[in-house]
Amino acid sequence: MTEKFEPKITAFVCNWCTYAGADLTGTSRIKYQSNVRVLRVPCTGRIDFMLLMKAFQKGTDGVIVSGCHPNDCHYTSGNYHARRRWMVYKDLMDFMGVDTNRVTFSWVSAAEGARWAQLVNEVTDNIRNLGPYAEYKELAVAGIE
Amino acid sequence: MSRIGVFTCHCGENIGATVDCAKVSEMCQHIPGVVHSVDYKYMCSDPGQRMMQEAIKEHSLDGVVVAACSPRMHEPTFRRAVSNAGVNPYMCEMANLREHCSWVHEKSEATTQKAADLIRVLVEKVKHNTPLFPIKVPVTKTAMVVGGGVAGIQVALDIANGGHKVILVEKSPSIGGHMSQLSETFPTLDCSQCILTPRMVEAAQHPNITLMTYSEVEKVDGFIGNFKVTVRKKARKLDEKLCTGCGLCIQKCPNKKISDEFNEGLGTRTAIYVPFPQAVPNKPVIDTLNCTFYKTGKCKVCEKVCPTNAIRFEQEDELVTLDIGAIVLATGFKLMKTEAFPEYGYGKHKDIIDGMQFERLASASGPTAGVMKRPSDGKEPETVVFIACSGSRDRSKGVPYCSKVCCMYTAKHAMLYKHKVHSGKAYVFYMDIRASGKDYDEFVRRAIEEDDVKYIRGRVSKIYEEDGKLIVKGADTLMGGEQVEIKADMVVLATAVQSNDRSEELAQTLHVSYDTYGFFAEAHPKLRPVETNTGGIFLAGACQAPRDIPESVAQASAAAAKVLGLFSQDQLTREPIVAVVNRQAGPTFSYCVGCFLCQTACPYQAIEQEHITARNGDVIKTIARINPGLCQGCGTCVATCRTKAIDLQGFSNEQLYAEIMTL
Amino acid sequence: MEALKQKAKELLQNGDVKAVLGYAVGTAGVRRPHFARNPKQVDALVLDEKCTQNLATYLTKHEVKHLGKVAVVALPATQRALLQLVAERQLRDDAICLLAVDGGEVKTLSSGAEVEQHLALKTDAMPAADKAMIEKLMAMTREQRWAYWQQELSRCVKCYACRNSCPMCYCEHCTMDCNRPQWVPVASHALGNLEYHMVRAMHLAGRCVECGECGRACPVGIPVHLLTFFAEESTAKQFGQRAGHTAKLDYALSTFKPDDKETFIR
Repeated sequence: MTEKFEPKITAFVCNWCTYAGADLTGTSRIKYQSNVRVLRVPCTGRIDFMLLMKAFQKGTDGVIVSGCHPNDCHYTSGNYHARRRWMVYKDLMDFMGVDTNRVTFSWVSAAEGARWAQLVNEVTDNIRNLGPYAEYKELAVAGIE
Repeated sequence: MSRIGVFTCHCGENIGATVDCAKVSEMCQHIPGVVHSVDYKYMCSDPGQRMMQEAIKEHSLDGVVVAACSPRMHEPTFRRAVSNAGVNPYMCEMANLREHCSWVHEKSEATTQKAADLIRVLVEKVKHNTPLFPIKVPVTKTAMVVGGGVAGIQVALDIANGGHKVILVEKSPSIGGHMSQLSETFPTLDCSQCILTPRMVEAAQHPNITLMTYSEVEKVDGFIGNFKVTVRKKARKLDEKLCTGCGLCIQKCPNKKISDEFNEGLGTRTAIYVPFPQAVPNKPVIDTLNCTFYKTGKCKVCEKVCPTNAIRFEQEDELVTLDIGAIVLATGFKLMKTEAFPEYGYGKHKDIIDGMQFERLASASGPTAGVMKRPSDGKEPETVVFIACSGSRDRSKGVPYCSKVCCMYTAKHAMLYKHKVHSGKAYVFYMDIRASGKDYDEFVRRAIEEDDVKYIRGRVSKIYEEDGKLIVKGADTLMGGEQVEIKADMVVLATAVQSNDRSEELAQTLHVSYDTYGFFAEAHPKLRPVETNTGGIFLAGACQAPRDIPESVAQASAAAAKVLGLFSQDQLTREPIVAVVNRQAGPTFSYCVGCFLCQTACPYQAIEQEHITARNGDVIKTIARINPGLCQGCGTCVATCRTKAIDLQGFSNEQLYAEIMTL
Repeated sequence: MEALKQKAKELLQNGDVKAVLGYAVGTAGVRRPHFARNPKQVDALVLDEKCTQNLATYLTKHEVKHLGKVAVVALPATQRALLQLVAERQLRDDAICLLAVDGGEVKTLSSGAEVEQHLALKTDAMPAADKAMIEKLMAMTREQRWAYWQQELSRCVKCYACRNSCPMCYCEHCTMDCNRPQWVPVASHALGNLEYHMVRAMHLAGRCVECGECGRACPVGIPVHLLTFFAEESTAKQFGQRAGHTAKLDYALSTFKPDDKETFIR
């Protein structure tokens, strides 16, 4: 395997802020690396932690979770509930030895097109440096048998 | 097996220049379930849409993925097109090749690959899509307005003029609110009652408006279009139908020394009373706490003198339940009391009064008939100090916000005083002058320039009494913090505007959110300023934040427009992107175990209890039910549910799982 | 002990309860749960330091619910579990009858409020050994923790004893039983095992009463209780809300404060 490592990045974003922000990145023609695949959900509140688990199972090297800034949630409080869930889930992942450097939580508003590009680039570069998430991939391979 | 069509759009050069659309289209042909895949220059154009519709028929497609721009842009367009070709609109998804791919990446193999990936994810989603149908909710076309101040009256009139029934609930014996207490209004100095009373009468006489004064909302059930509101009609202790409002009972009532709320404690009233002469309805109530009969069991003078025998001492409160389609909250505000200021003597100096008390002193219908007399000894005050921001913008008083109206009414007060006492001296201590309304700044300038009101920028640290004078000690920050001492005869505190007493309780009854200060929270601070998070409940006036009269009225009309929009159709149509609780045959009935941990996660109070009963009526199981009339489809409950009993239509577990498994 | 038996007999004789759930001596001297349905059966009850099982688990079972009101010999953890079950509407407040033994004294607690009061007097922290183990794990590097759990979880045979012994795992349809979609693979391989225990810990965050029953129930000795303990502690530390302390619902993960800390969010 001499091929250059290209990380697989999965982003879970809410429809109203980050998805719209990423749309703005497009309309502003700001370029970023193409590794990310965006999954659209209505609200960060909808993002079950099990979705992240499944993304890692499918060989994702890095995950981005992003939604509306506190106070800006389209549904007023979905992001607050999401935030608590991440606070605990991140702790637990770390306790079980899952590499939390590979999960990035962020708030990107509908007006922050440039911030989205910057976030994707930072995460992609960071994961590229970390290398493929071999530990988890081995599990997944063993799992699917 | 699904029969999915993929339609890749070039968007002219927008996608085509960076992504090899022909290749993407070719790649998509090989995705299992895809039976048709084409690319086209402009998919959203008429020929593009027609091509798609023909393909749907020709290939009997049951699902469609349009790979073009953002779904936030054209999802409605393509869903409509698909629907016109006979496929359920929710079987159509969009892959965002433009904003999320071609516009943000360079032309390359990887970009084309990403485009194909994005489509693949959506193809898998569509395979798990199910046809969804708009949710129809019937609408009861009667509105309830809570609060009969200027905002509530305006809402009621606007809705009533729009042709719908309105029930206007007011807790005090008369409508009119704080505006009826004001002497004159800024920036025009027209008399408040002169402009308000005609509106009050109009509301009372309007065939579409039912007044429920001396009444309070007790309980609210149901949801948008279908509320059941229980109102407590407090006992007036008289038969309103018989009472003609002649006022004989009030004249004869022996108990005349009761502190008058309408005059802010500066005057007195009787135990049977109307709050003010122009009250609507002009029917008295008996104040049972102060009435001699209720205290001693003897008196009944009012009953004896009443020419129509309208007095009913035995009358009880009455609970009325009403079917209501929309509710507008216009419950107003209260002013912080002078008791809250230790530095200004805890309200124990009679001549330190608040803004509303000054209004009553200045009002022609007030306790002094509009003659400037200070409360303590009835003398004309020669020097009056006005203190703006009393409590407002003061964290130590728990009010960090600006009360908004005080700068203006303080200028007004100073002017009114100067107009009444030409030789008098008026001083205003202020922090900033916030006069940003139409003709507002001009008004303040007039106070300073024409009426010679002395404005001192600085805070007052202390007021104390000395030789019959109130010594006001403050600083003039524009003079380098120089100490100022004024010997005043009267001090008027422009105290902070606060949320009304029991507003939090009312918010909880109605399930609307409120902020830390007890003001009701709007659904969105910019885009949905008169809606609450609870469908069908709207806001007007100072119950949401401090507001002046023009703003309250504008907001009232806005809320009325929202209600009229809701009432314009017999049924409310809502997007079917809502959460549903799984149901199945017994003995399980549902995966839901009824723990209701989801209930507090819902921002819309849409999660209710549902009892599953046996034939004999015994409750077998209690599970959650999501009210589709209230659910907005955020999905927070879905992620909270451990058993996966709740799912979100349009973003279901199966759909998201399938999407991830495609990555 | 005699006071307990006396009380149990009284309750049964008066018809206050249909059964008394406590401990009895089983095979090889282990302490097993015992349902005394008449005063005679009460005599088999024992209560000593070998009685550790959280009996609250049984109260949500259909068979037990059908019995009618059951009095339970309740250790502090059992008391917490019952409170949490009332909060989560799995038990009715008036269906509670706890026999709490304190020294020689037997206290009957017959409502959530009484249990709350009784518990408020105790400071029953996590066992020191478990606390030390969590601290030890947290002192390791991430890679070491990964290796530790991989090693431990490799023994898991997915028998679900941990789930079935847990008083808070009362769901009739567990996430593990979901097959549309099949969130977690059924087989007990590395991925499925990791996911199963991760999901269980997350589902107990803010709900775990820290009885440690899951760890004791594990036939292959995996300290699975450390995971739920950790999740509960993380929740309690961050939000100040703890499971099993009130009969009113106060679930940290479906409530929030606008100023919850979010240092990890970019």
